[in-house]
Amino acid sequence: MMRVAELLQKTEDRFLNSEEIAELSNFVAGMPARLTIYKKLRDREVPILQAVADQVEQELPSADTKDVEKSISSLMLVLRYCAMALLMNSDEAFLKQRILRWLEQVSTAYNLRRINEVIFRHLNHLLTQEFSPAELGLLQPLITTAQVTLIY
Amino acid sequence: MTKINVVDLITDKPLIANFFDYEAYVRGDLELGLLENRRGDRLIAIPDTMINALYQGLSKETGQAARLVMINCGKWWGKSFYNRFQQSLQDFYGIPLSEMDMLTFVRSLKEYWITHGWGKLEFDPEYRDRGLIVIRTYNSAYSRSLPGEQRPSCFLEVGILTSFFSRLVGRELVAVQTTCESLGADCNRFIIGIPERLGNVEQWVLDGMSHDAIMQKLVL
Repeated sequence: MMRVAELLQKTEDRFLNSEEIAELSNFVAGMPARLTIYKKLRDREVPILQAVADQVEQELPSADTKDVEKSISSLMLVLRYCAMALLMNSDEAFLKQRILRWLEQVSTAYNLRRINEVIFRHLNHLLTQEFSPAELGLLQPLITTAQVTLIY
Repeated sequence: MTKINVVDLITDKPLIANFFDYEAYVRGDLELGLLENRRGDRLIAIPDTMINALYQGLSKETGQAARLVMINCGKWWGKSFYNRFQQSLQDFYGIPLSEMDMLTFVRSLKEYWITHGWGKLEFDPEYRDRGLIVIRTYNSAYSRSLPGEQRPSCFLEVGILTSFFSRLVGRELVAVQTTCESLGADCNRFIIGIPERLGNVEQWVLDGMSHDAIMQKLVL
């Protein structure tokens, strides 16, 4: 979508060239697959987050509930932004700009990294059960960007 | 440890999203020539040259007083800024500013700065328990030298920080600038504290004392 927006800016200069048309066609052709993943993420949001929360509580019984809640809320934002990024075919820069820069400051300050580490481990495992390898191929790079930002 | 219920978490707790996210925050009705923020307050983009003109014009008309005029303008601005800032966050998160955790508050302030194109703001809490706040700004829109003056020149920022933090903590505070991008520093540094403590800082800056030396002197 970012790229599509760029193409739109060329409107007054010239018509799109064949390469750009092909790019636009790819964007449209990929839409049904991306929509499917988007809908699945939307419909499975609560069960996925709940399963992650349960597992974190089990693995880190001494962690402060408030901290875990904060991290799960952040994860919810991350998943929603990943879903939107995927739908719009945006890259990791979109995620960083829109949400990760914001969340990153919390994970550093509250020392939530340990919790985030466990959260993402369980999330990644759950996603392999929820999505096909092809779907994961589209989704995983975005999740990994979030994971790397919020853990390291 | 109580069990976390995600449905409650999603529905009951305020989301911890960024209110000042640029894409969501800046809107406009271009046919009417209006830019607005997401609450419907008007935004105006001011060209860089206008701030230059303000500095030059005030300096020409009022000479040495230009600095004080701008600091006072900044104070008025800061008052309204504080009101809007706290109202926006209160409406968005559903909790009063007084109950908001420090981190969300500071993050929001930083994002506010960035989204309005004022530069980047950093909040340094190192001296907080000694009653001093240090703020650093980078790429400030207001750092430009007045003709014939060799002193830090983010006067509008000095004013805005003075009244913003006074309102925030509910007592009179002052902000004093110790380094300035217009004098070749890497960033603009402001010390905020009670007037009795910071009374000499401006003179120390004019005497050429460094920011670190001033901090050392203040916390001794």
